[in-house]
Amino acid sequence: MIKTFHKTLAGFGAALTLTAGMVQADTIKIALAGPESGPVSQYGTMQFIGAEMAVEQINKNGGVNGKKLEAIRFDDACDPKQAVAVANKIVNEDIRFVVGHLCSSSTQPASDIYEEEGILMITAASTSPDITSRGYEMIFRTIGLDSLQGPTAGRYIAQSIKPKRMAVVHDKQQYGEGIATAVKETVEKAGIDVVLFEGVTAGDKDFSALIAKLKKEDVDFVYYGGYHPELGLILRQSADQKLDAKFMGPEGVGNKDISAIAGKASEGLLVTLPKSFDQDPANKALVDAFQAKEQDATGPFVFPSYSAVQVMADSMKLAKSEDPTEIAATLRSASFSTPTGSLAFDKKGDLKDFNFVVYEWHSDGSKTPLN
Amino acid sequence: MPESAYYFIQQLLNGLTVGSTYALIAIGYSLVYGIIGMINFAHGEIYMIGSYVAFIVMAGLAMIGIDSVTLMLLGAFLVSIIITSTYGWSIERIAYRPLRGGNRLIPLISAIGMSIFLQNYVRLAQGSKDIAMPSLITGGWTIGPADGFSATLSYMQVLIFVVTFISMTALTLFISRSRMGRACRACAEDQGMTNLLGINTNGIIALTFVLGAALAAVAGVLLGMYYGVINPYIGFMAGLKAFTAAVLGGIGSIPGAVLGGLILGITEAFTAGYFSTEYKDVVAFSLLVLILLFKPTGLLGKPEVEKV
Repeated sequence: MIKTFHKTLAGFGAALTLTAGMVQADTIKIALAGPESGPVSQYGTMQFIGAEMAVEQINKNGGVNGKKLEAIRFDDACDPKQAVAVANKIVNEDIRFVVGHLCSSSTQPASDIYEEEGILMITAASTSPDITSRGYEMIFRTIGLDSLQGPTAGRYIAQSIKPKRMAVVHDKQQYGEGIATAVKETVEKAGIDVVLFEGVTAGDKDFSALIAKLKKEDVDFVYYGGYHPELGLILRQSADQKLDAKFMGPEGVGNKDISAIAGKASEGLLVTLPKSFDQDPANKALVDAFQAKEQDATGPFVFPSYSAVQVMADSMKLAKSEDPTEIAATLRSASFSTPTGSLAFDKKGDLKDFNFVVYEWHSDGSKTPLN
Repeated sequence: MPESAYYFIQQLLNGLTVGSTYALIAIGYSLVYGIIGMINFAHGEIYMIGSYVAFIVMAGLAMIGIDSVTLMLLGAFLVSIIITSTYGWSIERIAYRPLRGGNRLIPLISAIGMSIFLQNYVRLAQGSKDIAMPSLITGGWTIGPADGFSATLSYMQVLIFVVTFISMTALTLFISRSRMGRACRACAEDQGMTNLLGINTNGIIALTFVLGAALAAVAGVLLGMYYGVINPYIGFMAGLKAFTAAVLGGIGSIPGAVLGGLILGITEAFTAGYFSTEYKDVVAFSLLVLILLFKPTGLLGKPEVEKV
């Protein structure tokens, strides 16, 4: 019984793939996978608008190898379980190119599936080093790594802040804990004592116990590895409890919503972010194009997502092919001129060169570069 | 007083506040369970809707130029209680009443479905982004030395304690003293018999859900302002913790729900304060398991007599 059921299922699957294959003959489909819902969906929006703009512009300039690109959104809600479901759906729909996912904890399990199925994946946002450290062929990224971002933050703390009693807090997730650990190691090498290293639960609302502890430890600097919903509340509750410390976080907290949540308490927060590509004069035309569509081009993942689509399209042109394996090989051998600079990939699929910048955040949601 | 004493006081206050927030939601769980013996898993979602309504009312009042704190609070509480009560009544009517009398598990599944529906309905209607609630009540007291560690207690925290205790007392009195309360208790004993004696059991059960929803609204308004952030997912975690508190204190007992909430909150605060934030849930839930091992009905719960 079960055997026949499986056969039917397999047959059904094959039929489905066949029809899908026939329909998509004249477009090249690119799946955009990221959170459209859930607490960090605004990052997903950055990724989607960046990638869709690239698709639009490439199509306007004649497409790729005589074909148009077609972007299709998939919502993984930044939930690892849903990310796997999305990956399976992409496989079933016979899409061979993916830009995404966004959260490292979603990208990791989804990338296993893409690698196995020979689907080319470029993430524009996942910064966990583990994603490209497994010898995979099909997995690339157009953003820097936590192992770069952590030391950048750590060096800045050691050289410019020189805190007396520093604490490192993280949200126990792959991204947050990874980056927090990297910061801790860097500052400890520079001789700064980390008096407290603790994890909080993502989704928690009350951090008063932790803040009382930070206050008792007389901490004057806190590094937080994680996303803005938790740090926003920590900042707000710290102000209520009169904790006198400076805070710093990775690009996961560098979002206007942190100012909405924390209000005045977000003034003076330090954030490491990719360079503001929207400030680059070379990207003026592109920024105007975003503005014409009433989209916000200032988010950290907008331009890396644009570049992800562009390097995909450029290497399809270079390789004169739509075969993901050939394109992966081209990505490794060529270099590409994109709005995020001249990009070249190393053997692992990481960028050869990517810089993070330290910004000071203001309570109105704006930021000023510090180094 | 030494610094460690102030630290202890601060963590105790933190624990009491978190505990009161759990208790406020747990009372609603316990009320419904006590009367119809059903766990209303959509209760956390009602709490979330209460927060959203409060936010909409506050934003609306601010837009038409009313910025008096008293008016805003009053408006938020009133509108939010009315709207969530309507939700409470409709949920009972749509999702639970048609299933009443059957297997006990069926309404439970229906409740989980309702919870998922409400969460996604709010997500679609309001978006999944965090919304920042204005904190209308600011400031507080500071106790302790000017230099070194000092404990703080905000007016908002005090308001949460006070409202929790008023709700608990008022409800306990309502159930034990009023005519309606007697009808509620009769319903809990034996629905069929109560009906035969001329009491509209459907009405009583609907009233229970309305009361539960009104309490959830109060919690929604207060906690929304206290934490300052609401999103469509806050109901799930809050509901889970409140449910734990209700079970810990003895589900069905209203003072038990408050006691359970406070114990849970204080355990979490002390674990986070003296041990590590990472283990606060582990310790809190281990405590739950321990208490249930030695007292399966919870701290103040009455042993359930199997009805035949």
